[in-house]
Amino acid sequence: MTIPVNDALPVPGGLPAPGGPGVADAAAASGAARGRGRLRRSLALCLPAGFLILLIAACFLWPLVGSVPSPVGGSVLDSSLPIGSPGHLLGTDADGNDIFSRLLYGGRVSLEVGAATQLIGIALGGLIGMIAGFSRGLLAAVLMRVLDVLIAFPSLVLALAIAEGLGPGELHVIWALSFYSVPAFARLARAGTLKLRDQNFMLAASLGGTPRWRIVLLHLAPNLLPQLLTFALLGAGVAIIQEGALSFLSLGVPPPGASWGNMIASGEQTMSVQPALVIIPCLALLITVATLNLLGDALRARWSAR
Amino acid sequence: MGAGRVHEQVTVRESSNRSGSVPPSDAGAAAAAPGSGDRSGGASPLSRVPRVLRSSLLRVAGRRLLTAIPVVWGVTFLTFAVLNLLPGDAAQALLGADATPQEVARLRVELHLNEPFLTRYGHWLGSAVTGHLGSSLGSGQLVTTILAQRLPVTFELILYAFVISLVIAIPVATVAARRPGGVFDSITTFITMIGLSIAPYILALLLILLFSVDLALFPALGWTPVSGGLGANLRSLTLPALSLGFPIGCFYTRLLRADVIEQLGEDYVVTAVAKGLPSWRVLVRHAVPNSMFGLITVVALNVGTLLGGTVIVEQIFGLPGVGQELFQAIQTRDFPVLEGIVAVFAVVVVVVGLLADLLYAVLDPRIRYDNPGQ
Amino acid sequence: MAAVLLCAAAVAACSSGSSGSSGDGSSSTSAAAASGPQNTSAPQPGGNFTMLEETGLTGAWPTGLDPATDASGSANQSYLDAIYGNLFELGANGQTIDGLATGYTISADDKTVTIELRHGVTFSDGTPFNAAAVAFNFKRDLAAPVGDTPKWPVSSITTSGSYDIVIHLTQPYAPLINTFHDANVNWIVSPTALSKAGENAFKLAPVGAGPFTVVSDTVSSELALKKNPAYWQAGQPYLNTLTFKSVASDEAALETMQAGGVQGYEGMQTPQLVPAFSQQFNVLDVPSTSPYVIQLNTAVAPFSNLAAREAVYYATDVPVIDQKLFGNLHPVTEGFTAPNGLFYEQNVPGYRTYNLAKAKAAVKAAGGVTVDLMATQSSVTQTVLEALQTMWQAAGMKVTIHVDQLPSVIQQFESKTWQASLQTAGAFDPAAGLGVNFRFGSASIFSGVHDPALDKIFANATSTLNSASRLTLYDQAAEYISTDAYAPFLFPVNGWNIAAKGVAGPGLTTLIPASAVRPEILWAQVGFTSK
Repeated sequence: MTIPVNDALPVPGGLPAPGGPGVADAAAASGAARGRGRLRRSLALCLPAGFLILLIAACFLWPLVGSVPSPVGGSVLDSSLPIGSPGHLLGTDADGNDIFSRLLYGGRVSLEVGAATQLIGIALGGLIGMIAGFSRGLLAAVLMRVLDVLIAFPSLVLALAIAEGLGPGELHVIWALSFYSVPAFARLARAGTLKLRDQNFMLAASLGGTPRWRIVLLHLAPNLLPQLLTFALLGAGVAIIQEGALSFLSLGVPPPGASWGNMIASGEQTMSVQPALVIIPCLALLITVATLNLLGDALRARWSAR
Repeated sequence: MGAGRVHEQVTVRESSNRSGSVPPSDAGAAAAAPGSGDRSGGASPLSRVPRVLRSSLLRVAGRRLLTAIPVVWGVTFLTFAVLNLLPGDAAQALLGADATPQEVARLRVELHLNEPFLTRYGHWLGSAVTGHLGSSLGSGQLVTTILAQRLPVTFELILYAFVISLVIAIPVATVAARRPGGVFDSITTFITMIGLSIAPYILALLLILLFSVDLALFPALGWTPVSGGLGANLRSLTLPALSLGFPIGCFYTRLLRADVIEQLGEDYVVTAVAKGLPSWRVLVRHAVPNSMFGLITVVALNVGTLLGGTVIVEQIFGLPGVGQELFQAIQTRDFPVLEGIVAVFAVVVVVVGLLADLLYAVLDPRIRYDNPGQ
Repeated sequence: MAAVLLCAAAVAACSSGSSGSSGDGSSSTSAAAASGPQNTSAPQPGGNFTMLEETGLTGAWPTGLDPATDASGSANQSYLDAIYGNLFELGANGQTIDGLATGYTISADDKTVTIELRHGVTFSDGTPFNAAAVAFNFKRDLAAPVGDTPKWPVSSITTSGSYDIVIHLTQPYAPLINTFHDANVNWIVSPTALSKAGENAFKLAPVGAGPFTVVSDTVSSELALKKNPAYWQAGQPYLNTLTFKSVASDEAALETMQAGGVQGYEGMQTPQLVPAFSQQFNVLDVPSTSPYVIQLNTAVAPFSNLAAREAVYYATDVPVIDQKLFGNLHPVTEGFTAPNGLFYEQNVPGYRTYNLAKAKAAVKAAGGVTVDLMATQSSVTQTVLEALQTMWQAAGMKVTIHVDQLPSVIQQFESKTWQASLQTAGAFDPAAGLGVNFRFGSASIFSGVHDPALDKIFANATSTLNSASRLTLYDQAAEYISTDAYAPFLFPVNGWNIAAKGVAGPGLTTLIPASAVRPEILWAQVGFTSK
């Protein structure tokens, strides 16, 4: 798929990429089109990447440098102020907490949850999956069964168990959601490994006497990474949304701390009369997920073109 | 025909790579792995393909079913262990806040909750393998009765949601991937982004507002069984299935689209197009099926999420399904019900995994076209 | 409109002691009371009614619908009332109305209560409703390990003839008749049906003598009932079918009602949605008789120290919380009584109200206050806790807050290390049901107070039958709690019952005081007034 196959037929016009020419165009591309395609690809990568960096900076840095009111401890006297109130750009919620501030601080939590669950998934899950796909016999079989059990285990039960047993909290949400992401990545990594392990370059490496761990880390992993990364960028968005679902069941990041998920969950209760409380965090979520997606697409295109 | 020759070319090249790499004894193991197919094809005529296909599929199926047993056991054990670690137990949860400690202790003994963890699990497992899943600690109903009542609702909901997600994903991704960056692609990217990022319960409430309140097309609450008319039954499930299926469909669309675009960058596609094959045909008959592996993997992984998603959706739409029961069972520490549901879920996940593996075997072109003697 | 209905109700119902107390003087008899319709525009017979109940509160009955085994009996009141009817009902003015019982007599020494049953009634399975059946029920209910078992100091239950139950008490017990509104003894099961089906099957398909019978029961999702043709009140119930469905939240209920096909929703709790509901539906404000209270654990630090407790009183601005979070919709109280309950007293002498300066001084006097405040999960408690945290921190306290699920809350109470907890306390009759003893008696694990003097006041109030004396005693108790700063009170959180236009019924469109936690609806009298 994304592996440079040694005996590829010469392909005029370069490889097509998302955001670039389609099926028929690829075969007929000229040099100028190639240049345009490259520029478009660069933009497709830089724009979302830049925006993501902006987002992260806004959530993590802005409250430190700018004067943003506290996201918690709002006075009940300021309850439910509308958008555009003095001192509260986006208004306040029922407890008097500034919504813009909660958006930023909540963004921190949501981004952390998304990033952490996917990183844990790639690292742990990817490793397990590569081992499971690369090895044969008993080790592979046992690993697969363990993964099957983890996948078949309803993560809601675990999330609830963790929340009730240890108390709800951001860290616990991450643990609960990682329980799902690790086997997911393991499965993906294993599937990818199986497709790759009989390719020429892999055989060459093993025939050349390279130790297996080197093969896994230096040959296998880089080829799997693009697919895993795409999945991770999507999965981060999914994880943030799942935190919201947990908040609906009162298992997510506990109020008064803010997260986009729990802002949506508490806003749901008065959705008909105060839709802004739901729309604002939903929009923030939408923008973040879109950015992650577009970045994923562009990254993978960059990898394919290599 | 051009197409046949292209594939022949591809097949010969690829199969020559393969035949030396896999020792014969591993053929069976390889058959169980996705995408590897059966390598004993060689120069066999077309007529042998079906038999080869069938036996490798059977082998895959048989293996999978055997491994299903420890998996289901593992899930029930893990669930029991986790439930045991939770504070409080069924006796307290059932009697509520006003009960005196003596009353709770009495009920605890009555429900055998004071026995050690392994003993209780052993009892449950012992009767479970003979089909007796016990009774709910709260309502006294047989777990099998509860499952029989509620599983059809949830299964129908999930199936409906799944169909919706595929109906959205496959056509949209295919058309969008044909011209990445084009108008259709941009519009659908926008829509799928929204669909992806919206919380299912918000979507559910919005759908109710739009379709039940404003347009009065679908009921807002409740489930009509098939006995009340198939049309009414489907109508009562449409909004819930949409709430579940649309976000997942958007997810699949993005994945499939990315995979199809990748496939379109593969040599065989470029060659086929260069040789004059209509791009649609290449797209639909070759690129898309080859892209399905990623989708199938993700679908198999997603079953658990779908099942979890039913909890909220069933709550909002008042569907008497298993998701709601699961959540309540956790809150009341009703372990027979919980174990019963979890065991069924595990079986479903395993079965879906099996189907996924079978689909890999069917879809892999190395099986389908492993017949250079055409 | 409501005033007219209330007047009609007052005229229609009559029983002595109509101020709501269970009896006056040494012996009394209640005259047979008419239990006719409480609204002037009588509903028409017929119609199918669907009622929504919220999943987390009333919409779940995981332990079935047998009063002796239903652990959520007070939450499941609506279903139990519809299936079993009531021995005694609660009227619009807080008076006791006869249902399946037609009166009661208290002996001269206040230790024997005789309840007279209605003649000629049968359970819906045809078996006779008589003293033997009721005695069977009482004994079963009193021994039941569920929360709504009444705490009668009973020595024995006997029957006298076919229609009289005699309750022999070990000591006078004033709230006895009032406890019927809160306890499982009000619902009588058919002993024949119970023994025929067995306990497990019976709780899923119960049989009683109420206005409706069970058609299907999908536990905690849907309960479908149909009219009981053998119901003792001629012409009732009006409805042909009554179906209860569980719904996820107040918002979801709003949308479902707007979509049509359902006629009512019980126990709406989100004040911000009241205007939205009012646009299309009848909204009935149903006051709770259980005010919220901030329990302080006087056995451990920091609240073993009076100054710390005073700080909490002074730092909490209750009217502002009521105004900002609830639009002033709830009545601020200073004691455990509420406007619709018995013995209501709005002000308690010497009550410490909000004063930030005094709060800060009290915190200093206590040497700093660090407190962990908890509550049981609900949308109301969450926002209130946040407001409290802000206010207390403004006075210089260090505050952490968390809302937990019920099992965890119970565990914290049992561990005795809890410091402060937002709960509800009080009832229609403070001595009945989830009364005040639960939160303030030294014997209860859910209490933060261990004060024998206070126990004595409550005990006296429970065994005195004279309502004037009881009033004085409860005033004393509230003042005692206030002086020692045991627990500041907030307000009872009212709920709202929503009804579609064109339906009417007591408790649904006209007010009945909330007995325990949930207000009652008299389903036999609910119907469609227009077609």
